[in-house]
Amino acid sequence: MRHRLAVWFDGVRRSVWRIGWPVTDKDRAAAMISSLFLHIHSARVSRHVLKPTYTFALGLVSGILFIVLSVTGLALMLYYVPYPPEAYRSMKDLQFVVTFGIVLRNMHRWSAHAMVGVVFLHMCRVFWTGSYKPPREFNWVVGVLLLLLTLGLSFTGYLLPWDQLAFWAITVGTNIAAYAPVVGDQVKFLLLGGHMIGPMTLLRFYVLHCVILPLAMLLLISLHVWRVRKDGLSGAEISASPTEERAGVFPASAKTYGLMGLTTRPRASVEARDPNDEVFAWPHLLYRELLVALAVIVVLHVVSLVFMAPLEEIADPTRTPNPAKAPWYFLGLQELVHYSALVGGVIVPTLIVLALLVLPYIDRGTSGSGRWFAPERRLANSVFTTLAVVSVVLTVIGTFFRGANWAWVWPWK
Amino acid sequence: MTTDRPRLLERPDPVRRSMFAIGCIAIGAATAGFLAATLRFFVPNVLYEPSRRFDIGPPSGFPPGAVTFLPDRRLYVFNGTDGFYTISSVCTHLGCNVKRGGPGFACPCHGSQFNENGQVVQGPAPKPLAWYSLSLSPHAHLVVDLDHPVTPEFRLRA
Ligand code: FES
Repeated sequence: MRHRLAVWFDGVRRSVWRIGWPVTDKDRAAAMISSLFLHIHSARVSRHVLKPTYTFALGLVSGILFIVLSVTGLALMLYYVPYPPEAYRSMKDLQFVVTFGIVLRNMHRWSAHAMVGVVFLHMCRVFWTGSYKPPREFNWVVGVLLLLLTLGLSFTGYLLPWDQLAFWAITVGTNIAAYAPVVGDQVKFLLLGGHMIGPMTLLRFYVLHCVILPLAMLLLISLHVWRVRKDGLSGAEISASPTEERAGVFPASAKTYGLMGLTTRPRASVEARDPNDEVFAWPHLLYRELLVALAVIVVLHVVSLVFMAPLEEIADPTRTPNPAKAPWYFLGLQELVHYSALVGGVIVPTLIVLALLVLPYIDRGTSGSGRWFAPERRLANSVFTTLAVVSVVLTVIGTFFRGANWAWVWPWK
Repeated sequence: MTTDRPRLLERPDPVRRSMFAIGCIAIGAATAGFLAATLRFFVPNVLYEPSRRFDIGPPSGFPPGAVTFLPDRRLYVFNGTDGFYTISSVCTHLGCNVKRGGPGFACPCHGSQFNENGQVVQGPAPKPLAWYSLSLSPHAHLVVDLDHPVTPEFRLRA
């Protein structure tokens, strides 16, 4: 009887986990392959990829932040009412009534801010290592869309507390959108759900923030990561030395991954690397990832316990604070808008996004891919670095050096 | 070509081919229609906001030669020597409330300045402040219509 029960339980366990707790490398590799969550990784990875100074784990950290944001966001939804002025009151509830409400809210806010920064840095890393080069051109495009979605998510989240900061940041933001030629006013009307910021606007931003944009984000992140998996990380090619004997646990396969299997021309052969340069993803990659996740979560908790997410007075459409500032990641834009609304608010950002989207199809070939600041890519890197530095400087100016009337102030005075 | 293939595959029947094309166009048109309908769905037909046309009371409520600010409406109401007119307090730059300062208006947010007619004197604001039409209701109250912008020549004698 006991024996039959044990067999039955074992059957149940096996229906969930196909493989027991793996003991050998081979079992671990098999576990990686047979798990939905783990098979994002290859069974083996190049040592090059493991070097922390190559990727700085920035993509991983953005992913972890997205998960933290989803979890904290879902929790916050249980107390939040997307209707003014209940929205503001539910913020107060989170702050003063709900146990740990303030911590969750802080976590959500600071992770969102961190994500904007980390995603930006991730883009810089990918550029500086030339990682958008073939066969990863399209994944760069997906990445640019993810950057825009990240900004969109942060921006739509901004209105939800319904405080002065929120109200006027959205006023500024949607007015920037209104500068777009031809469709500007319609876009603003659609975003606001009317002519002015009101209950309709709050509901629209809520649905965008909690459903539409996160779903789009999830879809694109899956695509993004899946393609990293198929293409391998850039730089893996560098250590490939096809002349060396390919021996190892897994014999080199001739399998190639084309563009979703649609192209006939093989692009990158995932296995065309030196197996001696590879290690098993479990434990070498997996444990590092868990460590990074742990570090991120610990840092977020510390930050959320120490720094409070701002909550100003309840939104008052008749009283504009001076200065009225957008969220910090738009302050570079606002600084530009300060000089010229159309050029700074619409033309420059549009051109930058377009340039980013077509970049991998203009800067072609694989030279200098997979290394930081490869000398072959000096021109591209200097152009990009200049742009990145300009955007950072504008953001810093908008954040710290602008006071009432958008006049220049010294932050230390 | 191989002979064991059915003839149909070798040379498509023109009738079938055009049916296929018509089918594709129909499906495409239907999809475009659904998309357009969905897009239209996002445009509200009823706005639960204060009416864009509203009564601001009898002209006697606005002393001659004075300027009254209606904060809820974000509107300045003037009673000048030649009649009534209104100027919006919404800065055309990024939507802050402009304040009366000196002869004109100044925006606190990015330093735009407007003259007494709301024309841009300085700053990032790209357009003059909006003027809205005023009319008299049957009860001889002043009525503002935000959907009817007017030029700075506008005056209402009441
Ligand atoms: S909103 Fe008035 S100057 Fe910017």
